[in-house]
Amino acid sequence: MNVVEMHCTVNGRPVRDTVLVRLTVAEFLRDRLGLRGTKVSCEMQVCGACTILVDGEPVSSCCMLAADLDGRRVETIEGLARGGELHPLQAAFWEHNAFQCGFCTPGFLMMSKALLDTEPDPGPELVREWLDGNICRCTGYRSIEQAVLSVATTRDGDGRPG
Amino acid sequence: MLPDIALHRPASLAAAVAGLDWDHVGYAGGTELVPALRLGVRRPTALIDLKRLPELSGIEEAVDGDTETLSIGALTTHRQAAASPAVRRLAPMLADVVAHVGNVRVRTTGTLGGNLAFAEPRSDLATVCIALGAGVDVAGPRGHRHVSVDDLIVGPYESSLEPDELIVRLVVPTPHDPGARYWKLQTMERPTLGVAIVPGEEGVTVVVGAAAERPVRVVVPSGADAETALDAFCAGVELISDMTGSADYKRAVLRHHLAGELLGRRAA
Repeated sequence: MNVVEMHCTVNGRPVRDTVLVRLTVAEFLRDRLGLRGTKVSCEMQVCGACTILVDGEPVSSCCMLAADLDGRRVETIEGLARGGELHPLQAAFWEHNAFQCGFCTPGFLMMSKALLDTEPDPGPELVREWLDGNICRCTGYRSIEQAVLSVATTRDGDGRPG
Repeated sequence: MLPDIALHRPASLAAAVAGLDWDHVGYAGGTELVPALRLGVRRPTALIDLKRLPELSGIEEAVDGDTETLSIGALTTHRQAAASPAVRRLAPMLADVVAHVGNVRVRTTGTLGGNLAFAEPRSDLATVCIALGAGVDVAGPRGHRHVSVDDLIVGPYESSLEPDELIVRLVVPTPHDPGARYWKLQTMERPTLGVAIVPGEEGVTVVVGAAAERPVRVVVPSGADAETALDAFCAGVELISDMTGSADYKRAVLRHHLAGELLGRRAA
């Protein structure tokens, strides 16, 4: 079996490991690190369930090799809440009933975080464009879009709720 | 799990080329290759990681008289190309097209070189490159060669690259007619139909992608002959029926779109 040494940070914590070359990032997170919040579904970059951030950029963890995480900064759904306090996006998804079964939710949240980190005040069009590659089969997209927009609005001006 | 595979990280372009063959395949964004490995449609024994090669990186402009050439490193991602001031200024149609390929994740990791090398039959990029007369700089054990994208794309997932060759840069001649434009019909994850239109001196170059084995190029003369040429092209072009629509449906959409764009009216 072909292996490679790698080290990276996952949600701020340094990780050093020897991984199979064939190991995907999703398998690495779920099976090696026990971070099961990242879901795997289509395995071809269509559904968005496995979305994580690498160096702040959204990627499909099902189609990236763990070997390629060497020297990079990984953020997963487990890193969103801080000290038991939900991230504003998580709170907004809760407020807006933006999930039902929840399978797609980690992917939607990470993609939404990537968007707001890039563009803190996106309009509906940009939200739709960024979430276009994430599939939800039960809630529908309207409440998800509204949840993301509510966080954008909340951040408006001097940070008071909009 | 993917099949067992080795990983090599060559330090130079020469070393990368020396290591390439049918079983040792170039690897960058993984957008096409990782699913291909998973499905078993490609079974190489090793990946040659191209991501650290500076020759394949960066976006440069070269001025030669009246023409300016845009040289885009093969490792450039769709998002990087879409955000590049040079690409937006010199090839706005290209910038717009790569900004709408796949989804944000695909655009973040997928490279332009990989898009073309895989000869994905629904590639918006290939269609646009053919319409703009773009080419690629290819490196191999016999040195470098320039290949037009039109000659690069042979058929679905089939390029004219040899197994020991790789795309170094995409070379786009500029400027383009300001009327150059691209339209696509897309309801699923890949386009049903993509149409590039580039006005020129001899007529309007039309390239139809996503609906055929590979992009189809035609020059429609301007003036009185335009409608006849358009009708003949739309009637004769070989289109494929698939889950995004029948060939007849795509033909009707194509005819309607081109009549609106080139004849200034909607088809009946």
